Amino acid sequence: MKKKTVAAVYDRRKKTNGRRSQGAATELWSLKFTLNGKRVSKRVRPDQTLLDFLRIEMELTGTKGACLEGECGSCYVLVDGRPMNSCMMLAPQVQGREVVTIEGLAKGKHLDVIQEKFVECGAVQCGYCTPGLIMAAKALLSNHSHPTRQEFLVGMEGNICRCTGYNKIMRACEMAADEMGLKK
Amino acid sequence: MFYQPKSIGEALELKAELKESGAFIAGGTDLVVLMNRGIRPTENFIDLSHVKDLTAINKHNGTLELAGNVTFAQAGRLPIRCLAKAALSVGGPGIRELGTLAGNLATASPAGDGSTALLALDAEVELSSARGVRRLPLDKFFLSYRKTALASDEMITKIKIPTNYQTDWAKNGKRGAVNISVVAVAVAIAPGLGSGGATVPVAKHSTTASQRLAPPRVRIALASVAPTPMRCHKAEEFLAKNGLDTGTIRQAVEIVRSEIKPITDHRASADYKVHLAGVLVRRLLEKLVKA
Amino acid sequence: MTQPADMLQQALANIHAKAKSSSAYERGPTKVVGKSAQRLDGVDKATGKTKYGQDLFDKKYLFAKVLRAAYPHAEIIDIDTRVAKTIPGVLVVLTHKDITGTNMHGLIRRDQEVLCSKKVRYLGDAVAIVVAKDEEIAAEALKKIRVDYKPLQALFSMEDALKPDAPQIHAEGNVLGEKHLRRGDAPKAMSEADVVVEDVIQTQTTDHAFLDLEAGRARYDGNMLTIEVSGQWLHEERRLIALALGLPLEKLRLIQPATGGAFGGREDISIQIYLGLCALKLKGKTICLRYSRSESMIARHKRHPVRVDYKLGAKKDGTLVAAQVIFYVDKGAYASTGIAVMRKASSHATGPYKVPNVWVDVVGVFTNNNPCGAMRGFGAAQTAIAYEGLMDRLADKLGMDKAELRRKNLIQSGDAVTTGQIVPHATATECFDAVLKKIDWNHRSYDTPAPHLKRGYGLSIVCFGLGYGDGFPDASRARCKLTDDGIVELYSSAIDVGQGLLNMVCQIAAEEIGVPLDRVRPILADTELTPESGSSSATRQTYFTGSAVQLAASELKKQLQDIAAAHLEELVYEIKIENGEAYNVFRPHKRMTLKELAREGRKRGFSLDAASLFKPPTMPEDTQTGQSMRAFVTYLFGSHVCQLLVDTETGEVKIERYIACHDVGKAINPDQVIGQIQGGVTMGIGMALMEEVVLKDGKILNAGFTDYILPTIRDVPEIECIVLENPDPGGPFGARGVGEPPLIGTAPAVLSAIYDAIKKPIRQLPATPERVWRTMQE
Repeated sequence: MKKKTVAAVYDRRKKTNGRRSQGAATELWSLKFTLNGKRVSKRVRPDQTLLDFLRIEMELTGTKGACLEGECGSCYVLVDGRPMNSCMMLAPQVQGREVVTIEGLAKGKHLDVIQEKFVECGAVQCGYCTPGLIMAAKALLSNHSHPTRQEFLVGMEGNICRCTGYNKIMRACEMAADEMGLKK
Repeated sequence: MFYQPKSIGEALELKAELKESGAFIAGGTDLVVLMNRGIRPTENFIDLSHVKDLTAINKHNGTLELAGNVTFAQAGRLPIRCLAKAALSVGGPGIRELGTLAGNLATASPAGDGSTALLALDAEVELSSARGVRRLPLDKFFLSYRKTALASDEMITKIKIPTNYQTDWAKNGKRGAVNISVVAVAVAIAPGLGSGGATVPVAKHSTTASQRLAPPRVRIALASVAPTPMRCHKAEEFLAKNGLDTGTIRQAVEIVRSEIKPITDHRASADYKVHLAGVLVRRLLEKLVKA
Repeated sequence: MTQPADMLQQALANIHAKAKSSSAYERGPTKVVGKSAQRLDGVDKATGKTKYGQDLFDKKYLFAKVLRAAYPHAEIIDIDTRVAKTIPGVLVVLTHKDITGTNMHGLIRRDQEVLCSKKVRYLGDAVAIVVAKDEEIAAEALKKIRVDYKPLQALFSMEDALKPDAPQIHAEGNVLGEKHLRRGDAPKAMSEADVVVEDVIQTQTTDHAFLDLEAGRARYDGNMLTIEVSGQWLHEERRLIALALGLPLEKLRLIQPATGGAFGGREDISIQIYLGLCALKLKGKTICLRYSRSESMIARHKRHPVRVDYKLGAKKDGTLVAAQVIFYVDKGAYASTGIAVMRKASSHATGPYKVPNVWVDVVGVFTNNNPCGAMRGFGAAQTAIAYEGLMDRLADKLGMDKAELRRKNLIQSGDAVTTGQIVPHATATECFDAVLKKIDWNHRSYDTPAPHLKRGYGLSIVCFGLGYGDGFPDASRARCKLTDDGIVELYSSAIDVGQGLLNMVCQIAAEEIGVPLDRVRPILADTELTPESGSSSATRQTYFTGSAVQLAASELKKQLQDIAAAHLEELVYEIKIENGEAYNVFRPHKRMTLKELAREGRKRGFSLDAASLFKPPTMPEDTQTGQSMRAFVTYLFGSHVCQLLVDTETGEVKIERYIACHDVGKAINPDQVIGQIQGGVTMGIGMALMEEVVLKDGKILNAGFTDYILPTIRDVPEIECIVLENPDPGGPFGARGVGEPPLIGTAPAVLSAIYDAIKKPIRQLPATPERVWRTMQE
């Protein structure tokens, strides 16, 4: 029997329903992953960014897009606990992974301590950068036992805020760390 | 089509079949940015983010082996100063979690921070294809603007780095973080040398063969000053011959300035880049000599 | 002999001084105003629930895309949309021919076509729109539209545009307009001055770079066209859309979604008319449109790059005697708010400094660059860079301490600013002294950790006229209603773009009526529901809408007091409303809740509904002399000091310390005032050191955040804020405003510090490492 090419194997595996006219790269892809603690199984366009997928298909509009070139951090989500620019990822890349968005932080009406401190400290103005910043802070405080000021700066340097001047954002992060018992 | 191979073998077979019509996507930071601009960079994506045997970091006899999916974030935690600093100077934390060193090499941007640090480290890349595996010193990897020695069916599976160098990194941008460099510099000095300057041995009457065995002891690599990240061989040779001290460093700086060929663009003018490259090289070397 | 005008001014000054001394604000401590209440929209924003323009999209809606000009200056010969229309999934392809209204827009002059018919004047001009099932199809269809152009010689510099044989960008020529100011006899005073300094300073084009890109949706149900797009002045936008599309005003409803920053960048019309047009053509469908970052940068107006030729004369002792200033303002392709920006430049030409003889000419020149219009600072920002730069050089030439020189020339209460307007209560000196004290000016240290690092200290003082001024109608309206369940509903069309307007209006209403903050329900920015409040710009909303809200709340309160007096059978002047309850101050057990008041009020036929108008007049500046007794309703003062290090080898600048003092009259919400100051300073640091739209042949080379560099958390030091509260007799609870002055003060202070460090002036902004280095080589 003639050896099948790997690509052919893939072709056989993939489902062909929902085929679009734009070309081969838009074959729907079967994506299974965990989103904000829930298992999700969804047919996605593999050329769709994770950002668009979350906003359009999952209707989670808390994750924002602002520069679409990885420069502003508005689109941060956590993938397996690490901060990532969802505008720079294709949806299928989170196959089997655990994704947390801003919508996944609060437990019902009970805000995450970082969200709480952002509101309390006036770190929110227009609010467009806020979800991304909170996700960056979440990643930082989850992965550093006792962040120093320098580590805070490194952890937050990928997020542009045009309104606040960052001072209150830094204060919110430090207060959240304090509250979590993380600060040195 | 979007392929998500689980093994290197599977990925290479796909690439062998798809050739130019398929592109590897690891971190995606170079490809997806194009897609966001409405450009479709390829018909077929071969996603490497789920290839398990591309994640290892191993140390063998003083050589660090980084598998192809090692990210900037991981590189930022390595005990190799110039590489760690270069990696941490890339983007913000989100980009560093996505972008890979191998991707940085493959995309061959003249401003590639990872590429530049690896050049100074005299890293070696392992290029794999369905046909087999070959090794290439990084110095031979960058051919011209955004062109590399990678064949259409090859991928970078490993990066090997000697660990016993004293190294450092400097990058100049227009702000405090998330910069594409105006100029960036990586320097590396071989172990036990460089302190006291004159103790740097001179490679006497070296033949072509022995040069390979005794490479220049100081390596200087720069970003954003040529069509590719580049080594300053003449300056390196000068220092290898004359040793490292304040005087030779100043002379080497002038050689660096004549070796590089930056262009004027919207980030900075050529003459400023030439000036800046010299300042950064001098500062790094002086700091290393002092240390 | 005293001129009548002088006498009137003196009288006005006396009245103001009296108002100040008798202090209209002896109200006792406030309960809500002056407190840093948390942002009312904070939790929704921090949890991702807030809906901005792009969050209103749905897959089942239709999507529009805009075709931009292919040339910066060209005649349109023909637009062929036939092929584009045949693409499956395309619903309509629209051009100027599909517009039944005037097809024109523009805030001051209607000089910009919605969809160009005969000519394109910059690369962001719109030529056609496609509506399709999705954005990809729309983008494909755009490529199939064929536009035949006859390219014209394009003008990218003011020099080229002013040449006599230059092609005309607009029918009326390449000069948008001129503005003059003449005070005293500047040429004569200059010739008699002991010391004269002069220089040419060029500011750069900057982008607002708000994060929330232009996006929104529209729907036409056959009767009402509803457009949901973030703007800055809902009712003016409604007027412009109605005119352009030929629609009666009452058939047009604008609703403002949550807005992610504006900074003047949403003052000009963006996508509103495109969306409205598409919706009108596709009745019953919802149309969505969003810009990418690059389209946003390519299409939107910018901050004017201004060339300032500044000459300043003084006596030996440092007393300023004359200023001669020429502003050359690159307007780009359309007028936008340019005339007003030019006027603000002239009326702020000498900032906080007393100069008896002033000569200012402002020329606005059309080019084929991006149109320039409103951006935080509005002409005053560019001007401050020039006059503060010149003050530094004058101090050097005189061998005087630059703080001393400034302090000597600051306007004092009762002095006139450049327009001749008397400022009854000037607090420039107070602000200046506050920052000097904080930095310990006389003991400042120039010791640095390494010889290649040089330290510098910079100073700036802001004197800024609030509101539109110049006799332009400037008004805000508000309405307060008490609902049956005892909630105060507050209606205003003022827009919270992030600055904190929501808290400001609610805190004022709560304070004025005497209810807790959570009993106020704001209903903002929906033309069907809310009265016109003017724009969120010109640092005017606290003063204007804050006052309007206070007036409406006060009237509602009086109704409530009447109801309580009648029901409780008490004297109305003994009724106090506090914490949501009305009671007799002498018999506190006689009391009623708001809910009871509402019920009783209904029974007694009270409207429980109060509307207000706040419209303090200003007087136009004289067209020849620029003089006006009341060009602006009031003035704001502030002062900054910046301490920084310059790496003299690389040109890099590191800000070590930054102190900003602003007199805000009264901080309605102190935390948010500090947020505005820190945000303004940060934007100013961007303007001083890194932000620049790089244009080549009309094309933006850095239309994205990779190369349009914005300050990150690493570029901003702790911004130490000093908030002074000298009440303004006309503002709500004495409040003035704070939006623009922090931005205006920053770039001058940073540049002044660089000058101090390297002893050479930066003449072209921004002071990138390369420019600083190059300046040192001169």
